[in-house]
Amino acid sequence: MSNIQQFQYDNKIVRAFGMASFIFGIVGMLVGIILALQIVFPSLNLGPWLTFGRLRPLHTNAVIFAFVGNGLFMGIYYSLQRLLKARMWSDTLSWVHFWGWQVVILLAAITLPLGLTTSGEYSELIWPLDILITLVWVIFGVNMFGTILTRRESHLYVAIWFYIATWVTVAVLHIVRSLEIPVSLTQSYPIFSGVQEALVQWWYGHNAVAFFLTTPYLGMMYYFMPKAANRPVFSYKLSVIHFWALIFIYIWAGPHHLLYSTLPDWVQSLGTVFSIMLIAPSWGGMLNGLLTLRGAWDRVANDPVLKFMVVAVIAYGMATFEGPMLSIKSVNAISHFTDWTIAHVHVGALGWNGFLTFGVLYWLWPRMYRTELYSKQLANVHFWIGTLGIIFYAVPMYWAGWTQALMWKEFTPEGTLAWGNFLDTVTQIMPMYAIRIVGGSLFFVGTIIGVYNLYKTGQQGSFMANESAEAPARERVLVAHEGEYWHRWIEGRPMQMLLFSTILIAIGGIVQILPMVFVESQVPKISTVQPYTPLELTGRDIYIREGCVGCHSQMIRPFRDETERYGEYSKSGEYIYDRPFLWGSKRTGPDLWREGGKYPDSWHYNHMMDPTTMSPGSIMPAYPHLLEDKLDLSMLPAKIGVLRTLGTPYAKDFEKYAIANAQEQAQKIAKNLAGQGVKDAQIEDKEIVAVIAYLQRLGTDIKIKPKE
Amino acid sequence: MYKYLLESVDGIQWFGIGSLLLFFCTFCFVAIRAFISKKEDMDRMAQMPLED
Repeated sequence: MSNIQQFQYDNKIVRAFGMASFIFGIVGMLVGIILALQIVFPSLNLGPWLTFGRLRPLHTNAVIFAFVGNGLFMGIYYSLQRLLKARMWSDTLSWVHFWGWQVVILLAAITLPLGLTTSGEYSELIWPLDILITLVWVIFGVNMFGTILTRRESHLYVAIWFYIATWVTVAVLHIVRSLEIPVSLTQSYPIFSGVQEALVQWWYGHNAVAFFLTTPYLGMMYYFMPKAANRPVFSYKLSVIHFWALIFIYIWAGPHHLLYSTLPDWVQSLGTVFSIMLIAPSWGGMLNGLLTLRGAWDRVANDPVLKFMVVAVIAYGMATFEGPMLSIKSVNAISHFTDWTIAHVHVGALGWNGFLTFGVLYWLWPRMYRTELYSKQLANVHFWIGTLGIIFYAVPMYWAGWTQALMWKEFTPEGTLAWGNFLDTVTQIMPMYAIRIVGGSLFFVGTIIGVYNLYKTGQQGSFMANESAEAPARERVLVAHEGEYWHRWIEGRPMQMLLFSTILIAIGGIVQILPMVFVESQVPKISTVQPYTPLELTGRDIYIREGCVGCHSQMIRPFRDETERYGEYSKSGEYIYDRPFLWGSKRTGPDLWREGGKYPDSWHYNHMMDPTTMSPGSIMPAYPHLLEDKLDLSMLPAKIGVLRTLGTPYAKDFEKYAIANAQEQAQKIAKNLAGQGVKDAQIEDKEIVAVIAYLQRLGTDIKIKPKE
Repeated sequence: MYKYLLESVDGIQWFGIGSLLLFFCTFCFVAIRAFISKKEDMDRMAQMPLED
């Protein structure tokens, strides 16, 4: 055995990602609690920077990319080294990856409250950050594949397949979703528009859940659950099937976010079918995780690590049962745009990602610090408070979702809407929003207890920055002999694994997205639909900046209650100049697609100054700064130029007249406002006129009679 | 009904049917090969996390 090699595992990088995970977990959860408080106490919407619309993406990005992101890097850096019997390929790349990722998070925390956003859910970050993310992800990939290629263990355990699929799919998703043309350092327009962009967004958004929040965590489950239970995974065969079926099916399911929208029916149907099929591999994986504990259930009662892991896997099972159910059109008709979706994602985020992260942290910390956990009792307290937190969060949100959906759809015997005022359906569920604060706070307190416990564990132990190990050098030749396990051929060849994974995940995207982009008939044109005027375009960008899309949809589904409440249902051709699309996914306020012409300009002026003057009891934040801040039209020529490049039919040289055109329209609105009793000098120079111009245009094009 | 849902693009029915067939074939291939693989190989792979 002369070829035994001595080497050391790098624990320092694992600890760094672990610490970043719980620090940003605290930040992300705290922002979540602030948002929950703002809904119940709207006066907590402070200034332009800390309003609900601007903070919501900060919450989702912090939890997904900072808390879970750092958590998955922690799990990967620990397990990858040990499964491959090799230190990470390059310490330098490990640390460039770590600090690069934290810089992205820091810049996100600055830019999002400033209103610098692309508005796509979970892809809000501006284009320079998109490039930075790409660079950091490539560095992570180089380091991971460098480690895989210089490994001492010939075979790749199933967890590593999940990591490989994660890396390649996130890379593809991020690049395609970020296809945009910059207007300035902080703004860009996406190359796709309207329904096409909606499909790309939800292909991305759904698969961010799949390949950022799920597959790396499944890899961690397959590594850390056997470690914690001290027994091998229940069925390795099942894990093989689980892997290939999951990555194949997941990529197709995105369109279930767009059911009853103007997306062509065939894409919706495909999304529904694959979403329902997804239950099989998801539950196969869940059962494989739970059955790993066969014969060890007595230990679950005493071991907080196993407790966290078991609830995490059960939460995964619940969320992946619910997901396919929500993809059935008749269920989606009720759930979509309501708090049901919010409950669903929090079962996943708090239960699956949160609890698995805590389970892994409680398992890792004592080992890396060569000591026992500081307090098992505190860990148990954390577990129970966290579990109660999830229940107190999810149950009220399910209740709120159902209640509001039923109220939206209720008709009187005379055939009119029983709850014609949208606000009534909001005030009805305010108690549920209040209970949600309790749930979120409980989970937050549990997390603080957990962090304290880990801190004390670190204090009482001594950190092992480099862990010594030894293993024989790898045999370079892998030959699958006749009758040998077939998968041996691929599992020893990471680049082939990468290639096959890429092909499988690419097929779904290509079949769904390419026809949408290249087949003209997919988006029927409407002759009266025209591009936005320069002032409307400016107003639209302010609407995006303020995050209005977080609470207001712009997509009227073809249901009687929706057409009764909002007006004519949405048509695909109405959105062809919408860059980005602003359909939204949650209605905390009413849909705005037919808002144009519904109220006089002065109504919007007063509503923005203080929403409660126009809608008593409204929980919308006030936007007095729109009435004070000067309208900036300087970027209009650049915006018009980029939009024309992308295909919006602005007239030749329109850039030259764009500012004058906007000023002219602003004067008209100022005159209207004055005529309606608004006494405000220089109002035509304020942002509010652009917002009014945009809101008054919404959904009005199809009301124009086409020229003969 | 199915035809109606899928008729907005020429030949679009093949997108849906082809996708499902492709998945079915991939799944069968993976499942059959996994089930006929040797138990010892599988057990050895499953032990990997416990051996570091």
